[in-house]
Amino acid sequence: MEPAEIDRFRADARDKQVLLHYSGEFSAPVVATLSDTVREKLDDSAPDRRIARRVFSAFVEMAQNVVHYAPPENADGFPRGTLTVTRGPAHFAVVCCNRVRNDQIGRIRERVDAVRTMTLDEIKAAYRAQLRNDEPDTEGVSKGAGLGFLTLAREASAPIDYRIVPVAGEPDDAEFHLRAII
Amino acid sequence: MTAIHIPATKETPEVLVDPTTMSFRLSGESYPENAIAFYAPVRNHLETLLSQPSANDGVEAHFSLRYFNSSSTKLIRALIGMLHRRAAEGVRVIAHWYHDPDDDMMAEFGEDLKDEFDALDFRMIEAEGV
Repeated sequence: MEPAEIDRFRADARDKQVLLHYSGEFSAPVVATLSDTVREKLDDSAPDRRIARRVFSAFVEMAQNVVHYAPPENADGFPRGTLTVTRGPAHFAVVCCNRVRNDQIGRIRERVDAVRTMTLDEIKAAYRAQLRNDEPDTEGVSKGAGLGFLTLAREASAPIDYRIVPVAGEPDDAEFHLRAII
Repeated sequence: MTAIHIPATKETPEVLVDPTTMSFRLSGESYPENAIAFYAPVRNHLETLLSQPSANDGVEAHFSLRYFNSSSTKLIRALIGMLHRRAAEGVRVIAHWYHDPDDDMMAEFGEDLKDEFDALDFRMIEAEGV
């Protein structure tokens, strides 16, 4: 990138009120630093503590999704992803893009689609039911309790939306885009 | 047992387990990347406290959390479950659940715990800037 292009990129990020945009490895120290940054920016820009807490919560759930579920690019590497927090005229948006294995897509669709069609009361009821389900929380997509997506749905002010896009030349992987509007 | 103090970090709460006052306290933030690893020793410390002979005279617990993530949720609820089992055996257990008046989610979570674990003397406490 030329310096002028970088300057346009920076100006664009400012005009679109990008609080945070990160693309790269999601190691524990990186996630900790990103979390601190998001907190600070929200303390400065969120209209009240309740909104700040909701945006922060959506950010944490998405960042930890990447850490737990995105396949690393090579055997000893960290998972990778892109996380963006922006502020619009009326709402904040938290958007996450990361690779997922094709064999996990069915499960992801099933869960997010179920949550997307629920009313807030249904989300709360499903959240309670998951909480009381004695199956222990584990780290795998196939065994997880689904509290993560339900938490995201509770924080959001509109149904969470997503896309799953095939990756050219990577038959085992797809790109998962997830957005929560708060 | 000796008193246990685990200091808070940005992502994990402060933990205090004090056998002299028979009290347990969890306060701050809880969004560790590996919540199971963080809460395993906390459970053990609480179990030890609850098995002290003086636990029969009553136990006090304080939960003062600003924020917790989804993977901490079940583990925090499990701590309340441990207190509840002792209360169901006839021990007086007072659990204080502090929440910011603006934090409806934290309040609802506490109300659900209060309904579910009804052997506890469960007290909801509004506290500014928890």
